[in-house]
Amino acid sequence: MTKWMRENLWRHSTAIFMCIFALFPLYLVVLSSLNPSGSLQLTSFIPREISWDNYKMLFSSPKIPFLSWVKNSLIISSTVAISSVVIGAASAFAFSRLKFKGKKLGIQFLLLVQMFPAILALSAVYVIMERVYSFAPSIGLGSQAGLILVYLGGSMGVNIWLLKGFVDSIPAELDEAAKIDGASPMQTYWLIFIPLAAPVLAVVCLLSFIGTFNEFILARLFLVEMEGRTVAVGLQQFIGGQYATNWGAFAAGSILASIPIVIIFLSLQRYIVNGLTAGSVKG
Amino acid sequence: MSGIFRGNFALVVKIVILAGVTAILSLLAQSAFARGEIAIGSFLVISIVALNFTYLTKVSIPLKFFVPGVLLFIAFVIGPIIFTVVMSTFNYKTGNYISKEAAIEQVLIRGVEPDANQTTFDVVAGKASDGKDAILVSDVANQKFFLSTQDNLSTLDANEVVVNEYGVATTAPNFVATSLEDLALDDSYAKIRYKFSDGYYIVIEAQGVGAVFRQALTYDEKTDTMRNIQSGEVYVDNGRGNFALEGSPDSVLTPGWRAPIWFENYTKLVTDSRVRTPLIKVFIWTVIFASLTVLSTFAFGLLLAIALNRRMRGRRVYRSILILPYAMPSIMSILIWGGMFDSQFGAINNLLNTDIAWFSNPTYARAAVLLVNLWLGFPYFYLICSGSLQAIPSELLEAAAIDGANPRQVFRQITLPLLLQILSPLLIASFAFNFNNFNLIYLLTGGGPRDTLDGELAGATDILISYTYQIAFGTNILDFGLASAISVLIFFLVASISFYGIRKSKVMETFG
Repeated sequence: MTKWMRENLWRHSTAIFMCIFALFPLYLVVLSSLNPSGSLQLTSFIPREISWDNYKMLFSSPKIPFLSWVKNSLIISSTVAISSVVIGAASAFAFSRLKFKGKKLGIQFLLLVQMFPAILALSAVYVIMERVYSFAPSIGLGSQAGLILVYLGGSMGVNIWLLKGFVDSIPAELDEAAKIDGASPMQTYWLIFIPLAAPVLAVVCLLSFIGTFNEFILARLFLVEMEGRTVAVGLQQFIGGQYATNWGAFAAGSILASIPIVIIFLSLQRYIVNGLTAGSVKG
Repeated sequence: MSGIFRGNFALVVKIVILAGVTAILSLLAQSAFARGEIAIGSFLVISIVALNFTYLTKVSIPLKFFVPGVLLFIAFVIGPIIFTVVMSTFNYKTGNYISKEAAIEQVLIRGVEPDANQTTFDVVAGKASDGKDAILVSDVANQKFFLSTQDNLSTLDANEVVVNEYGVATTAPNFVATSLEDLALDDSYAKIRYKFSDGYYIVIEAQGVGAVFRQALTYDEKTDTMRNIQSGEVYVDNGRGNFALEGSPDSVLTPGWRAPIWFENYTKLVTDSRVRTPLIKVFIWTVIFASLTVLSTFAFGLLLAIALNRRMRGRRVYRSILILPYAMPSIMSILIWGGMFDSQFGAINNLLNTDIAWFSNPTYARAAVLLVNLWLGFPYFYLICSGSLQAIPSELLEAAAIDGANPRQVFRQITLPLLLQILSPLLIASFAFNFNNFNLIYLLTGGGPRDTLDGELAGATDILISYTYQIAFGTNILDFGLASAISVLIFFLVASISFYGIRKSKVMETFG
């Protein structure tokens, strides 16, 4: 046994073993999406024939309004991501840079409340939005606008907290200099802070996008109509209880829906890992 | 450039936006009050005042940054939290869901009885000449005819009406029949009580058929009781959201209303064995599930981080592959795993050449849940651990090696303790997250297997949060009161875990 073998063999075998573990389900999905029989049985590791039928089905079958689902997911997730960063950044700026009475108390309160997992208040949100529906159906239970509001409001605690952490890490010298030069807080915010923070805000925006895209249970409770569902809810309902017949189309759909998320995630890896060490956990 | 944020243009934009938002919110507030949603309406009014006050005065500049975020925060974070606590003190479930006023109205509508002979008549619905709702009633057997409105009954002579071949009157003076299409569109006709004789009235039961009823229950506002007019039985408010018969509390009128029962939902968790036993079972599994998940994901992540913690061929490729499970949308991965564990068509049985019904057997289902969560979670700890390993000063390790420690001793006595110290807040955060990992359980096993035949709500893989969901939304009886009480309990558990984690990280900030 050479020295190389002694030092590196276990490293490579551990890594390869875990890579196989990591890749197995993903490979299986790709395989099933190309399998015309629509089953997820593992007949062989190399596909005997490749067919794009499952992908075509997504775009042609009236039973699967896949494009509407994607469109809904994109609209909901991007609206929530952009608005929550626009609104959250202003609050985070105030918490981080401005002086006011009760600031410390406010921060402590925020810290406490953002620990409350949103899902615990699920029935309360449900009842509240049911009541909103009784006088304003277009923003109540069952509407996409209502869902967006719930996501947006619900993300405020965590988002302000997360953004505050990022804002704290941006050096304050520049806005202090601006302040000495006579800039008002509004000017400091728009002309100094926003350009400086833009990359960070973009990252938080994308993270928020992924988070919303991944949300399931509120979307499930809110979006009842087939056409109005998000990708996650649509695909889940689609395979519910009958894995055998629909697996191929589900596999194709989940690959298409996952690719953009995986790309965003991988390109943001550095920020996400830094954010992780700051104590946040991805869902 | 600063001109954009000052001057007339900015002012106009500001006023236009503010006016628009104010208009929309006012409209909403008005409809909220109209529907009796006082809390929501008041919040909207406060929002309007806060927004206008903040942006039209110069009292507080920080507020200008805060207000939109804070209002949303109050509406959708604080509001639901408060409401959860409030609901947990109420008997708030299917059958006790509406307000007391609505419940009284419903009880009265249902509290009717047919007359002794269960008389029915042939009727034609329409309007009287004065525009009031009216029916033309034909007592075919006795060849008698009436015109009845809500407050008046007039007898018609047989020669006044035109009858069809069945002897049913179709037209009469001062009466216009409503077309069948219009009747089909409007279901309010069925709710009208047309006068018949004292105490009795006619209700349209079906197309062309009216039945004679009388009110059996009356509500006495002064004593807040329901009384059966005939039998004289008195139903009193039982304090739990129902009118119950005096002396026999099990005989209640439906529907009930949501009524405060204070701590009963909480005491139920302790005293009612039908609630307590499953809750303890679920709690134990939740703790086991979260601990084993943290342990296994951390162990595998650390192993990989150590294995790849040096320059070696293929490290970048390994890293890109190993991060994939973490980059995939977790919902998709969970559903894919769910399909793989399918007993008939799943790849797992196929691969192992077994025939296991994974999700029907408690032990297998739990093993599957843990395996899938390992897959989802190990890349996170791999990333974290490889970052942290680099943060351990190499002098420490070298010094230990010079002192003659072998690599295993270095790992066990220096690397691991240091790593655990650095990562303990994250391990705690991961525990807290998995404690409430609803998506995994709900999408993979649905909490099952569970004995639905026994009416058992808790499944073998149910964790507290999925069990709560099951109570709130899982069956025909939505029990928001009990679910909220468990939610509050979970919050205290998770908050204490998180606080412990924060204190740990604070300690580290000071000494690290």
